[in-house]
Amino acid sequence: MDQMNQPGSPDQVLTEVRAEGRDAPFNLSKLRLSQDFTANLGVKKALIFVPVRKPDHQDFIRVHPGEDWRLLTKILELKRKGETFLVDRELWEQLQKELISKVLFTVINRQGDISLWPIRLPGEDGRLDTWNRSALEAANMAESHWIRVTANMSLGAYEVQQAPADLQEPQWPEVTFGEIVDVAFKDRFIHSLDHPVLRRLRGEI
Amino acid sequence: MRVGPEQFSKVWLVDFEFSALPGERPQPVCLVAWELHSGRKLRVWQDELLAMPAPPYSVAANSLFVAYYASAEMGCHLALGWELPVNLLDLFTEFRNRTNGLALPCGNGLLGALAWFGLDCIQALEKESMCQLALRGGPWTMDERAALLDYCESDVDALAKLLVKMADGIDLPRALLRGRYMKAAAFIETTGTPIDTEALASLRQHWTGIQDDLIQQIDADYQVFEGRSFKAVRFNDYLIRNSIPWPQLPSGGLDLSDDVFKEMAKCHPQIAPLRELRVALSQMRLKDLAVGQDGRNRCLLSAFQAKTGRNQPSTSRFIFGPSVWLRGLIRPEPGYGLAYIDWSQQEFGIAAALSGDARMQEAYESGDPYLAFAKQAGTVPAAGTKDSHPQEREQFKSCVLAVQYGMGEVSLAARIGKPPSFARELLRMHRETYRTFWRWSDGMENYALLHGRLFTTFGWQVHTGSKPNPRSLRNFPMQANGAEMLRLACCFAVERGVRVCAPVHDAILIEAPLGELDGAVRTAQQAMAEASHNVLDGLRLRSDTKIVRYPERYADPRGSKMWNTVWDIIDCINGRQSG
Repeated sequence: MDQMNQPGSPDQVLTEVRAEGRDAPFNLSKLRLSQDFTANLGVKKALIFVPVRKPDHQDFIRVHPGEDWRLLTKILELKRKGETFLVDRELWEQLQKELISKVLFTVINRQGDISLWPIRLPGEDGRLDTWNRSALEAANMAESHWIRVTANMSLGAYEVQQAPADLQEPQWPEVTFGEIVDVAFKDRFIHSLDHPVLRRLRGEI
Repeated sequence: MRVGPEQFSKVWLVDFEFSALPGERPQPVCLVAWELHSGRKLRVWQDELLAMPAPPYSVAANSLFVAYYASAEMGCHLALGWELPVNLLDLFTEFRNRTNGLALPCGNGLLGALAWFGLDCIQALEKESMCQLALRGGPWTMDERAALLDYCESDVDALAKLLVKMADGIDLPRALLRGRYMKAAAFIETTGTPIDTEALASLRQHWTGIQDDLIQQIDADYQVFEGRSFKAVRFNDYLIRNSIPWPQLPSGGLDLSDDVFKEMAKCHPQIAPLRELRVALSQMRLKDLAVGQDGRNRCLLSAFQAKTGRNQPSTSRFIFGPSVWLRGLIRPEPGYGLAYIDWSQQEFGIAAALSGDARMQEAYESGDPYLAFAKQAGTVPAAGTKDSHPQEREQFKSCVLAVQYGMGEVSLAARIGKPPSFARELLRMHRETYRTFWRWSDGMENYALLHGRLFTTFGWQVHTGSKPNPRSLRNFPMQANGAEMLRLACCFAVERGVRVCAPVHDAILIEAPLGELDGAVRTAQQAMAEASHNVLDGLRLRSDTKIVRYPERYADPRGSKMWNTVWDIIDCINGRQSG
């Protein structure tokens, strides 16, 4: 055994391997495969639910600053059920007394969840209560800062907590505002006077 | 893959039969080699092999050497003092790569590969008895010689059939890179790890008595043993006395698996000695530790055996396999030193580089990614340090590790001893801080589920199989690219003359004469930095070094207490015997 191992001691053979290593036919940069598994995959998160509500008081949020990412409209609110319905423009005049003018802002929280934030607009008299006025100001601030919106009952208005400036900018999903509205109101759009909600309000059912 | 004369002027299919006692280098018994283009076949018995100063076939750059589990053939080359082939194609690594993650009805040995491709493997079925005949060692009768040579030839014939079946699916440049590692593995297996054989002999001699004394000493704090039996009922009482919540089995009983003990010992350190004791009593088979006559631990590294492509050596034969305290047996030879060099936070660095998450890379570059994460999440002020915020750092470290291993909030909460809501918040901060990483990780899971496989930078792939585990899939790039990195580092280090004793997960153990040790460490660290640069497309991971100079011994801090306890017991036993 000694005889056999003698010429093959690791030190001796290593010399030969070193020489081989110099000429090794491996161009590692050419052999390298990309690890970007997201490229060309085409998989994206589908938007299947968009709540319409004021932001959770524990969430830091941003409001999309684009003019195309908000909607000034009239809505019907069933306060007791906490439901909001979008109403076809054709019906606005006939339902004038039931509808409220609101602006719907597109909101994203730190988890990347999208919602629509409805805030009341001034009435024909141009007046607006302190809750909605402070909410509009908060939404305006959220276009450029991460904020939390909490109700201050003694103040009668919302107050805003602003996050430090070094938080990352939000990553808005690759959907259009129209798609967000479609998802948010997919089963809560009133397009005729025969809609069950209107019939119930009229006492017909 | 094409292996015609235009690619390689010679294609040699080679198989050795050899004997190898535990811990010893292989001793070649015979060789059969078959050149594919010319049909030339060589049958060479041991006496002729020993007289050959060089292999009887070409190993030059214009030739291809083909074998199945080639570190064995390379080990024979080293034992004979032969040059290693420039181009090594190992059909084992390629079969593993092709079928990794799939259920193999007949395993991944040569027979398993033949069966997988529907090839006749009847002739090879006598493998076990022939292996035993070779392992038995000489002298062999003339009939036995002929039988061994015939058997060796049948393996080469099988290899040829397998090559034909597999050729089209082989990605040759990357296959040769894997073959390159099998050469390095042969060097490492030949070198081995120096062991304090006197200490090992003492441990083996007194092991039964040591176990009894260990129970007596360690169980004094727990009162859970009855003789040599661990009693679950008593352990349950101990947990109640000490208010330690413990994971349960679906049946309602305590989960007493070692994995659970290991995990629980991290958040309840008082459990650690009991876990060591249980391992020492149940798993440790000191007689199996493979140590050769020259006092070196050698065993098959079992390269590419894990799904991640990592080595998977026997836990009882490999010195780094059993409990960490036994690593105290590692001691350099007189005049030599050892260095244990490991990458710093390798998995975090891989995740940062491959995902392209700039904030994660920034955290890695800071030198303390856990503290940096806590700062990035706004929990620790910018001026905070490891000393000023140890608890926060530990919690964020646990969070990082939890993400790497795909833990949920419940497991993380158990690990850090906090309620799930706290763990949920930590995980939320990780998602918010490292969004690019999470997008990449989500994409990876989607890719695996859509395409049924994932792969590393150098092409090691895993099939998702019929029951994909999203946690394993998300962890695969960190583990498998870590394995690529280690293999490449071993190649670089060995080729530059470093004596690598053992690869260990994210580290290598090297040895050198004391006067050359610092230089060897520099070369090895350079090799590791280059390997990370190649795998991570530019990012060089840092490495840490622990040096041991003769007569010191290697010591893992996690096992120091147990090591000292065991040697106190041996001293007592020796004292009793001499008294």
